[in-house]
Amino acid sequence: MTIGDRVPRGDGPEKVTGQAKYTADITMTGMLHARFLYAERPRARIIGIDTAAAKALPGVFAVITQDDMLDVRYGFFVKDRTVFATDEVRFEAEVVAAVAALTPEIAAEAVRLIEVDYEDLEPILDVEDALRDDVDLVHAGFASYEQMAGVDRDRNDCAHMTSVKGDVDAGFAEADVVVSARYRSDMSHAAPIEPHAVIAEWQGERVTIWSTSQVPFPARSQVARTLGIPESNVRIIVPHLGGGFGGKCDVHFETHIAALAKVTRRPVKLVFTRREEFLATDKPRHAAIIDLETGVRNDGTITARRAKIILDGGAYSGDSHFASEISIMMLQGPYRIPNLSAEVHTVYTNRTPSGSVRAPGAPQTVWAVEQHTEEIAAQLGMDPIDFRRKNLVEDGDTGQTGQRFDNPNAAACLERALEMAGYGQELPEGEAFGVSCGWWFSLPVASGAYVKLNADGSGTIVTGAQENGSGSVMGMPALAAEELGMAPEQFSIVYQDTSAGPFDLGSAGSQTTMNNGRAVIDAARQVRDELLQLAAHTLEAAVDDLELVDGAVRVRGAPTVAVTIGELAAQAHGGELLLGKGSGQPLPMPEHDASECVGRLFYPAFAHPSFFCHVGRIRVDQDTGVVQVLDWSAAFDFGTILNPIGAEGQVEGGTVQGIGFGLLEGSIYKDGHQQNASLLEYKLQTAIDAPPIKIAFVGGPAPAGPHGARAIGEPPVVGPPAALANGIAAATGARVRHLPMTPERVWESMQATGVN
Amino acid sequence: MINPLSLSVNGVPYTAAIEPHRTLLSVLREEFGITGPKEGCDDSECGACMVLIDGEPTNACCYLALQAEDREITTIEGISDSPVGSRIQARMLEDGGIQCGFCTPGIVVMATALLSSNPNPNEEEIRNALAGNLCRCTGYQKIVAAVSKAAGDLE
Ligand code: FES
Ligand code: FES
Repeated sequence: MTIGDRVPRGDGPEKVTGQAKYTADITMTGMLHARFLYAERPRARIIGIDTAAAKALPGVFAVITQDDMLDVRYGFFVKDRTVFATDEVRFEAEVVAAVAALTPEIAAEAVRLIEVDYEDLEPILDVEDALRDDVDLVHAGFASYEQMAGVDRDRNDCAHMTSVKGDVDAGFAEADVVVSARYRSDMSHAAPIEPHAVIAEWQGERVTIWSTSQVPFPARSQVARTLGIPESNVRIIVPHLGGGFGGKCDVHFETHIAALAKVTRRPVKLVFTRREEFLATDKPRHAAIIDLETGVRNDGTITARRAKIILDGGAYSGDSHFASEISIMMLQGPYRIPNLSAEVHTVYTNRTPSGSVRAPGAPQTVWAVEQHTEEIAAQLGMDPIDFRRKNLVEDGDTGQTGQRFDNPNAAACLERALEMAGYGQELPEGEAFGVSCGWWFSLPVASGAYVKLNADGSGTIVTGAQENGSGSVMGMPALAAEELGMAPEQFSIVYQDTSAGPFDLGSAGSQTTMNNGRAVIDAARQVRDELLQLAAHTLEAAVDDLELVDGAVRVRGAPTVAVTIGELAAQAHGGELLLGKGSGQPLPMPEHDASECVGRLFYPAFAHPSFFCHVGRIRVDQDTGVVQVLDWSAAFDFGTILNPIGAEGQVEGGTVQGIGFGLLEGSIYKDGHQQNASLLEYKLQTAIDAPPIKIAFVGGPAPAGPHGARAIGEPPVVGPPAALANGIAAATGARVRHLPMTPERVWESMQATGVN
Repeated sequence: MINPLSLSVNGVPYTAAIEPHRTLLSVLREEFGITGPKEGCDDSECGACMVLIDGEPTNACCYLALQAEDREITTIEGISDSPVGSRIQARMLEDGGIQCGFCTPGIVVMATALLSSNPNPNEEEIRNALAGNLCRCTGYQKIVAAVSKAAGDLE
């Protein structure tokens, strides 16, 4: 039995000894080094670029700009971007030119020698201004851009969506009390510890790219498009990936480096500095303005909600539409709300383009919704926990697009987390508990895998899936082993190589175990059928009488009549090989009704939702506003836990990341420039800051996931900022309506509320 | 200007001719091909580049290579040879103190330095010792537990 065991990760030994190779660790013969020239201004027209002096520098092999590229725009939802800036720069770290040289120092010197003549333009930095008709367009040519069908956009609004349910006016008319508030959240960063790195090498018409990508297949499509070559001529290999958290989704600099490698006929390597990682990777979490208005009856029944979100998409849309869609789907929260009208605008500005960071759109929206939940309870004079108990969704209730919940376990998560935390006990002055509830889902997308047995009876899984560190791909051997009566350590895995495994979306949308896991199981079952056929022949028994146990096929009830998998595999290598393929074909979407929604909702219902509750115990220093997190309890319905080490690791890591987003992590902007683009000024949680975390997994097997598993990767990061906010309010009596809730903001809120 | 440098890394003597501005991290990685120490920031902010210099944990990204003249450097690659280091590695693996692994070399080096000077640290001492090693994946809980258990194993 391997499902549910604490199995150490298969890539652990090489990681713990320093042998694991990451992209930046690779050196190739004849390799050149790349550096980029950035705009360093938020908005300007390019009058001219002079690369002559840079090209003349000894040791420089190439200096390229958009003039050296195809005139092709790319973008996942809206094709609004060229590889290098064309005519106009739209954010401070837009790439204007790239250099390849013998050493990084020469490349940097060459970058300094490139002369660009700019006409600076007034940047568009305020999202509400940007939506006005009399404000300049960030993309003057927006109307001509190609886009995915169904995207609703106009001028600076690159993703408009609505979600409508019931009769909102009638709902408000029934309300005794209406509560409304505005919440604001700053942009924050994925900040993996490994910065981006890319190496590209051509042989003939084909290019191989080693990249720190979370999504090698989608990245390959964009590289092929921008280089004008077939996808089969592009191979993306991801060596070990040093974390991503969404910041390494989408295509990044693969095309730039492939283009340099092509003109220089040499391998070219790019490694980002930490400063570039903040400024140029253009995948931060969206800044947001969230307006909520909710009607309730005096008995605590919610009658209606109106909500509006404005996301700052930055200069290019990238994969922003995921965040647009998910944030809007978070507005009902895990509560019963019969009438709801919500809309989201995702706005172009002259800031760093935002994108999918772990649970895109969710932590900031849930932070607003869960504060609002407690503000409503306070207005009614109800205990916030009792208010939740009354309103949390139950079996048969519907979500905001009419999706029916099947045993949602939302209430079970709440009760379990409260119990672990010792909620209700007397706490010292300045301390309080903070609570948040919520839900998340798993993206239903296509995904494939192969399984083969080697001549010695060991196995190999070849999968398109991508391991970002979470352990999801490392969990695949257990799934295959379970089907084949083998042990997980008997399998090797070939992964994150677009020329090896079948398509997979990548480590995004908490989808790997759900979709690729089912693909691996399907592939292993095919091998199992082949093995049984072969064994039936060898043992002269009927297939139905056979079982696969402990590395052998044996006759049920007569365990000595057996043949080992090793013997069968050796036999197969003289005839028909033991090969299986699987496609984790997306599971059907839960029943829902999105007919009243405008704009493309890609996932108008949330498949296999994971409900959760966080309870943090915090202390607020009344003089300084500093929040200390003392301990934490979190309960999740993840269905079957396939490997507790991995599941706990996701909860612990996600919770601490969420605490960082809650208290400290936010980009400070001045005139279109990030002011805190370093880890000294943009502080991540350290071992001292992180609280001890207690975890409970509630709920039984989910109906559809592999062995009943649900999504795990993103959910843990969603709830912590909200729990902290409610804890701060409980400890101080003041609401902090600006994320992150830095000591200054906590202190200011206390002053404004007159608490001090 | 190019200067001669000789030092020992993981017990092996190395010589090189390098420019004075080069960091120990860049010389280890690019001249000697020792890529276990990682570059997460280049600014002493993350601890991914941590090595032992004559037993002292140091961020190699902010240490000039020429300062390491005649010194004994231990990187993650050399840590497995020490009983303390290899026990920490084993515990990190078994207890799930590793996810993406990019911080792991620095953390194992730091934890080895800690247990070498304080064989029986409490949780607070472990957390304080690791305060300069950022990990974005694990939330630290399993790392702290792994170091604590390794200390117990070594008693
Ligand atoms: S790379 Fe040296 S501390 Fe970050
Ligand atoms: S394991 Fe990824 S940064 Fe620590």
